[in-house]
Amino acid sequence: MSSGRSPREHLSEEKLARAALTYLAEPGDPALGALLAICSPAEVLAAIKADMLPGTGPGCGDTPASRAALDRALGRWRARLPTLPHQERLAGTSRDGIRLSCPGDADWPGALDQLGQARPYALWLRGHTDLRFACSRSVSMVGSRAATSYGGHVAGEIAADLGERGWTVVSGGAYGIDAAAHRGALAAEAVTIAVLACGVDYPYPAGHADLFAAIAGQGLVISEWPPGRHPARTRFLVRNRVIAALGCGTVIVEAGERSGALNTARHAATLGKPLMAVPGPVTSAQSAGCHRIIRDWGASCVTRAADIIELLSPLTVPDALAPSGLDALAPGGGPGRRSRPDPDAGGTPSRDDLDPDSARVLDALPTRGGAGTSTIAVEAGVDLDTVLRCLGRLAGYGFIERCDRGWRLRRS
Amino acid sequence: MPLARTYSVALIGVTGHVVEIEADIANGLPAVIVVGLPDTALREARDRIRAAITNSGEEWPQRKITVGLSPASLPKRGSWFDLAIAIGILAAAGKVPRAAAAGVMFFGELGLDGRLRPVCGVLPAVARAAEKGFGKVMVAEQNAAEAALVPGVRVIAVGSLTGAADWLRGLPGPDGQPAAVEYQGGQDLPGRPGRDGKLASGGGAQAAGPGGAMAPDLAELLGQSMARRAAEVCAAGGHHLSLLGPPGAGKTMLAERIPTILPRLDRAAAFEVTAVHSVAGTLPAQVPLLEDPPFLAPHHTATKAAIVGGGSGVIRPGSASLAHRGVLFLDEAPEFARDVLDALRQPLEAGEVVVARSGITTRFPARFTLVLASNPCPCARVAGPSEGCSCSPATRRRYLGRISGPLLDRVDVKIELEPVSRKELLSDRTFSESSLTVARRVAQARQRAAHRLQGTPWRLNGEVPGSALRRTWPPAPGSLTVLERSLDRGLITARGVVKIVRVAWTLADLAGRPRPTRDDCDAALGLWLGVRR
Repeated sequence: MSSGRSPREHLSEEKLARAALTYLAEPGDPALGALLAICSPAEVLAAIKADMLPGTGPGCGDTPASRAALDRALGRWRARLPTLPHQERLAGTSRDGIRLSCPGDADWPGALDQLGQARPYALWLRGHTDLRFACSRSVSMVGSRAATSYGGHVAGEIAADLGERGWTVVSGGAYGIDAAAHRGALAAEAVTIAVLACGVDYPYPAGHADLFAAIAGQGLVISEWPPGRHPARTRFLVRNRVIAALGCGTVIVEAGERSGALNTARHAATLGKPLMAVPGPVTSAQSAGCHRIIRDWGASCVTRAADIIELLSPLTVPDALAPSGLDALAPGGGPGRRSRPDPDAGGTPSRDDLDPDSARVLDALPTRGGAGTSTIAVEAGVDLDTVLRCLGRLAGYGFIERCDRGWRLRRS
Repeated sequence: MPLARTYSVALIGVTGHVVEIEADIANGLPAVIVVGLPDTALREARDRIRAAITNSGEEWPQRKITVGLSPASLPKRGSWFDLAIAIGILAAAGKVPRAAAAGVMFFGELGLDGRLRPVCGVLPAVARAAEKGFGKVMVAEQNAAEAALVPGVRVIAVGSLTGAADWLRGLPGPDGQPAAVEYQGGQDLPGRPGRDGKLASGGGAQAAGPGGAMAPDLAELLGQSMARRAAEVCAAGGHHLSLLGPPGAGKTMLAERIPTILPRLDRAAAFEVTAVHSVAGTLPAQVPLLEDPPFLAPHHTATKAAIVGGGSGVIRPGSASLAHRGVLFLDEAPEFARDVLDALRQPLEAGEVVVARSGITTRFPARFTLVLASNPCPCARVAGPSEGCSCSPATRRRYLGRISGPLLDRVDVKIELEPVSRKELLSDRTFSESSLTVARRVAQARQRAAHRLQGTPWRLNGEVPGSALRRTWPPAPGSLTVLERSLDRGLITARGVVKIVRVAWTLADLAGRPRPTRDDCDAALGLWLGVRR
């Protein structure tokens, strides 16, 4: 397994070439994708350095138009040649805890090959977890950066539940849902993967530097861009295809009408991966995108981790095929070891343990939706002081929670 | 010996310092020299005083006049030594009896025609004079009511320099009337309305108009029972309050009604508040003593100096000090400049503002209840998906992020107001209470808290630091079970527990219980969880 490789070991010629290509070409460049389909990376690199395209072959430069496109691409790549680090530096990046994974490596996730010519040339990894194994049972979870507390809560809960059952959560490391998903998985001491649109050593957003460090410690921070590369607007959209490809399925937790999460959803749909969405309040602009993909794209409506696992289970790699040594790969999070006997109990007292007032207030809450404080008080036939005290107690016990319209029963 | 002494008071902030004014007339070319750290306005006094003396029909001594203000190290500012200097010169020239002039404190600005004009800050100055044993003060007629608030001081109200000189000479005025009107401080207060004045007024410039038939009442805030309860808790415990909600939910309405449930100020507090407003010059002419807690709502374009006080030359109190013992309401709080908001951290901590300038350091009291109101987003349209908010995620994050964590950390009660549904409106009719009812509970709760906190520097629960709360006033045993469970579940943080317990103390005070029980802690938790997070 490559994760055990000594840092001093030199990268093979092909890996070096792929590392160099990540510096020279933007990921997702169709011209380079087409070239790599017919030539080896070392040949491509040599051709770029020599400013001479490799001999024409099928699918490459056989028409004048595509020949011209290739010439233009060559100019693009050559322009970055001066910025290419020295070979030693390329090879020695592993000193910083950063390593390279290339197609054909033991830890290269086969799921990425589904991207065809848009497959990443190579991936830069930060963290010690095995990428291929982590992606064997994985869920991509993305959503709005401007998440509501509802979205953040749901994303965190679902990610933690998935983590406890041995699933990897893949997300983009952005604010909002992405961060909630990562944190949920981290809280369950499970593996989580952050796919960045910049170098893995470049914390973007800067406020997440600590989060990325925690993810690298317990899972992986990965990127198609070489270390030190800054993020750019278009790079996020290119990056999204990798998020979609790495997960066995994609869950959108909260997405506005124009959210970037919908771009990830589109990639997942294109790849034929199960697409899922967590519904939100129909009045919430933050969930409008989720509702649209349920309606228009046939996404499955999921509300908890069990729903997701049920949908994905036939698609995952059987456990027998997965490498052994679970505990080493998923620190403290071997599936089955930490799974709760009853995930719904959570140490909450039962309704029978409640005092009469609290029980009455709990009964007064509507079964669906929420109700205002006064409405609950009238319904329960108690005064305001009592209702406030009982609501506090019930919320503390986890029976109810705050919502748009006041208080509502907590889904258990 | 042509030397005379008079006395006045220089104000640094709201603290008075007695200033001795010596006027010496010597042989030499006719000139006036003012020594002793005067500022520009005080230097100009030479010309004002000369015109005033001449126009009052007195004789200007055509010799060299030296006016010394001591202690010389104390910066002296403004125009209010005019009267003291003018009387000093007249006394030195032998026009008024020197002994009489030395026995009175003088405060007042002179017009060129010799009229005496009112000045700001008379109350703290007279209070200082009384402390230092001066039994008589002479002020302009317009300042008489304010000066007469100080017990044990004889206030001589005069309208002009002539009146002042005549009174000192023991002569009647030109038209046979007494030269001055005298009041005994603390007893007969001229032009003072009865105590049944408006309830909700604030003294400041930003206060609501005079209380008419439609005085605001807490009962009008229908459908927001949690918010009403939060306001009551804040009024009773002096807790700072943060209101979050879309426009139209009633944030401003609630904040404006908090003064209606606050008790009137006691004598000592009223003096402190009046002193600050007197220095700021925002004291209403007819109301010399502010007995209602002030309510200040500065606009969000306010500068740091406007909020915490400052200014070059004369340092004036800002809104934070004008709201002393009252409410400082920051509507659209995220719109305030970040440094303005952060400047409030120190007064929130210390209960006073310290304005340091190169010349002098000034302290103003600033123990106020902070009320913040914010929209969840700068465009304030989050209602539906169709006309929904178009702000970028970063914009929204940044918007609420403008209120810094350390500031929010000092806020004990946070409430989210939602648009009210019809059902909630109907249900809430049963529970809405008038301001008068709530104010009575608040007053009793404050008394209980004050009784408990006797012998400590604090008067209200909101002022008690967490460490003292834990050590000296823990809630009843066994009342924290639900809190502990919430802590385990990650609903609240350890820091949140301190705030919840503090609010529980206020709830216990409101309910008349000796210490918070489990019910109070749970109710406080309910209020705390009233914000989605």
